[in-house]
Amino acid sequence: MSWVRAIPQIRGWRGIVGAAFSGAASSQVPRQPLRHIHLGAAAPGPAPTPSSSSSSSLVPRPPVPHEELFGPGSEAGPQDKARFVQAVRAFGQRNAHRRGHVDFIYLALRKMRDFGLERDRAAYHLLLDVFPKDVFRARSFLQRLFVHYPRQQECGVAVLEQMENHGVMPNRETEFLLLQVFGKHSHPMRKLLRMRLWFSRFRAANPFPLPRPLPRDPLRLAGLGLRRLEPDLSARITVYQTPAPPDSTDSTLSPEPDRPHIVGIQSPEQQEALGRHDPARPVFVEGPFPLWLRDQCVHYHVLRADPLPPEYRVAEETPEERNLYYPMQLDLEYGRGPWDDYEFDIDEVAEGPVFAMCIAGARDQATLARWVQGLQETNPTLAGIPVLFRLASSTREPLDSSSELAEQPPPSPPPPEGREEQEDNRRQQQGQG
Amino acid sequence: MSACGRLLRSAARSCRALAAFTSSRRPLRTSPSGRAFAKELFLGRIEKEAVFPFPEVSQDEFDEISQFVGPVEKFFSEEGQRSTVSARDSAWDLRASVDSRRIDLEGKIPNETLEKLKSLGLFGMQVPEEYGGLGLSNTMYARMGEIIGLDASIAVTLAAHQAIGLKGIILVGSEEQKAKYLPRLASGEHVAAFCLTEPASGSDAASIQTRATLSDDKKHFILNGSKVWITNGGLANIFTVFAKTKVDEADGSSKDKITAFIVERDFGGVTNGKPEDKLGIRGSNTCEVHFDNTQVPVENVLGEVGGGFKVAVNILNSGRFSMGSTVAGMLKKIIEMTAEYACTRKQFNKPLSEFGLIQEKFALMAQKAYVMESMAYLTAGMLDQPGFPDCSMEAAVVKVFSSEAAWQCVSEALQILGGSGYMRDYPYERMLRDSRILLIFEGTNEILRMYVALTGLQHAGRLLTARVKELKHGNVATIMETISRRLWDTLGRNVDMGLTGKLGAVHPSMADSAVKLEENVYYFGRTVETLLIRFGKTIVEEQMVLKRVANILINLYAMTAVLSRASRSIRSGLCNHDHEVLLANTFCTEAYYQNLLALSQLDKYSPENVDEQIKKLSRQILEKRAYICAHPLDRTS
Repeated sequence: MSWVRAIPQIRGWRGIVGAAFSGAASSQVPRQPLRHIHLGAAAPGPAPTPSSSSSSSLVPRPPVPHEELFGPGSEAGPQDKARFVQAVRAFGQRNAHRRGHVDFIYLALRKMRDFGLERDRAAYHLLLDVFPKDVFRARSFLQRLFVHYPRQQECGVAVLEQMENHGVMPNRETEFLLLQVFGKHSHPMRKLLRMRLWFSRFRAANPFPLPRPLPRDPLRLAGLGLRRLEPDLSARITVYQTPAPPDSTDSTLSPEPDRPHIVGIQSPEQQEALGRHDPARPVFVEGPFPLWLRDQCVHYHVLRADPLPPEYRVAEETPEERNLYYPMQLDLEYGRGPWDDYEFDIDEVAEGPVFAMCIAGARDQATLARWVQGLQETNPTLAGIPVLFRLASSTREPLDSSSELAEQPPPSPPPPEGREEQEDNRRQQQGQG
Repeated sequence: MSACGRLLRSAARSCRALAAFTSSRRPLRTSPSGRAFAKELFLGRIEKEAVFPFPEVSQDEFDEISQFVGPVEKFFSEEGQRSTVSARDSAWDLRASVDSRRIDLEGKIPNETLEKLKSLGLFGMQVPEEYGGLGLSNTMYARMGEIIGLDASIAVTLAAHQAIGLKGIILVGSEEQKAKYLPRLASGEHVAAFCLTEPASGSDAASIQTRATLSDDKKHFILNGSKVWITNGGLANIFTVFAKTKVDEADGSSKDKITAFIVERDFGGVTNGKPEDKLGIRGSNTCEVHFDNTQVPVENVLGEVGGGFKVAVNILNSGRFSMGSTVAGMLKKIIEMTAEYACTRKQFNKPLSEFGLIQEKFALMAQKAYVMESMAYLTAGMLDQPGFPDCSMEAAVVKVFSSEAAWQCVSEALQILGGSGYMRDYPYERMLRDSRILLIFEGTNEILRMYVALTGLQHAGRLLTARVKELKHGNVATIMETISRRLWDTLGRNVDMGLTGKLGAVHPSMADSAVKLEENVYYFGRTVETLLIRFGKTIVEEQMVLKRVANILINLYAMTAVLSRASRSIRSGLCNHDHEVLLANTFCTEAYYQNLLALSQLDKYSPENVDEQIKKLSRQILEKRAYICAHPLDRTS
């Protein structure tokens, strides 16, 4: 890690090499130092706006000479591809020699997100097309050896880097444009080759693929999150509560704040385990725990119990008269030899069973109690089991270990009230059972 | 026509005296050793006395069988159909003879055919004579099966009736139950069915839901529940039903246990669903049977209350061996039919029979038929030994081998006919559909392989306990002995178990094959020992290992059976015994190399052993519940 971080700090053309080389894998590396050096050299400017703070680190802060081409801010009108294309064309027409094209391209790269074009390959091609052709191509051995037109090459790499950060795969047209602009042995070309090599290999590396773009509907998003949490494909997702639809006739009333969505998941095995659960032992609603879906964070809660103390555990025995066709166990006195015992010697800590999980729009106890009520419809035994809420307050760090909490009183902020509420809730649950 | 049946039965009775004589003579022919042959193979031993010489029937028994076989064969074969047309009462007989095509199309065995089967006494083949059955021995039953197997629907109907349906009464029924039910079942007046399978319970007895509760007056059991896929469910009047009952234990607690009941349809509350639409054996009647508050008198408990599990296992184990001869009968018929076609159909001015790839198929069919026939009659002969020997393992082997051979051979036969075979005009597609069930019912082949392997390993494991313990505790003498034996094995040991040589059990013309068998058996014993040391009792979970063990055992038993039979044929000078020797030698060579492969796959570090890869592959697929490879046309860009 440290050497990756070191490379961008070397100024000059090596910086480009570093950025091109570090590739997709190092996009999380903090690039702050580089940005400062870069700014100092190229264009000092105001602090980055929040919208562009996550964009490419090679983009310098604006002197903003061409801002007007992109029109007034996003409030004025629809920001769409047509306007972006129009702006790029306008730049070409205004200026036959393409003076200041590097600054313009940096500006356009920053603006792309506002226009929703950050994943549009054609838009990047449009920007690469802004470079004048043939001018920056190295023509001699020496030009190739030292960086020819470093600022322009750096800009070309920045375009590619932004493509990379948004997962846009370069194609033949990209290659053609770069060849025309920078020639074969340029840094942007090398960056392109590396991207093409690694992109294709990393594209399917994620074992939990998510649709692109992520759904905006919180119910669907919750569904995706729950599917990732629960590996059992037989598990059923249930929507326990949908948010009240926004009332169109009365726009002053926003959707009821106390009607957040609740989406839960439970597999048949969990249902069965809950059915077998001893009603004398309480179950816990714990959470919230964070779960990241690409760039969005959802929080989930689990319904779980403590592991059974050893004295309560009943060893499950296969009855002798079980299988009509063949013996289920051999009556032998010796077991597996040590050389065939493939189990790793792992110190396992028994965790309690998890019975169900949910993602809700709110993290308060009332909402979660509604989830538990919903669960009771499919798990009738739950009505007779006391349910305790062990919720971390939303401001605090989410729970990371429930075992240490088992000895403490629940950590909800006002303990006496929380207790009462729990007691109430328990009574309520039992009353229903 | 019923005169014929009466004639048969009187013939049977007249033969009985002779049969008594022969049965008293039987022990002299083979030793009374109770040790089972297949189990001993697991220890690397060949129990010669059990399988050599091949069981032989006496002249009187042979005559008796011929008497039974004649009319039945006539009834089943098309010649019989034609001759009866020209005979006296033609119309009725024509309808009554077996028309498999019509049975398949209509999904029903015509009543006339069923009546004829009853009058021939085929509904009571194994019912003892004093209860009105034919009282056939296992060997004779196997012989009859050969003919009955010509129509799969009839074979299944009859098997469901007597191999499992009424078998419980014969095996464990009380005298009163036998006297009450068997005569009418043997005559076919009543049809029996075996009700074990439930929607939630296939092989798992613990998940049986049907329940029988004792009524307050303790005179009846009230039976409630549903059974599915009951063959003869719509025809039967007598059901052998398995249900859970509360049984009081000695310590005062009560436990759910399975009990077997004889249930008459007249008890009330017995209904059945409509016949299932099946792939094959469409003429047999398969349906759901429901019991709704059926009152079963306590006298109708089969065996003991709570002893139903053993009853079920016994019935299932006893019915399997006959599949070998049944399939062999069908195969022999198929070989005849396809050979006719192959010798007359010409392509490129040559009959099909001159093409090597067609010839190969005939050799395969004949070989399979020969092997399964040998195994079936060897097993039947063992079962006919006095003292009820336990041959359930051998029977399972016969079932697995014959069902798989049937599927393979019918498919090859269809292939010989090419496109015609696929058409409904020919019987092959029907036979193909019919033979598919053989791999599934009476215990799927997978389950029977587990049974074979685990039963054998249990036997071997008990006897090897002392050795394994010494090895595990590091007894130097045992370890040294094992190592030196291994060393000796790798240097090429000469295994001799006395099958060959002067006065050996196997004829010298098959000495090579016998040596191969001995070698296989020896190394099989070694491998079993290694497996037991490696896995111990956890071998139950190693199903792929168990499958290979079972496959080797099946081959070993098959090799033994053909060697034994061919030796007998050549020594007693039966016709075409040279053909038999050729078949036996061919099969033994093939099986030998199969065994060598399987043995090396059982070796932990051999390159042939890909079990771990297979497990991983299936785990990856089942995790996603789909075929997870990218499409061959997919691109990353």
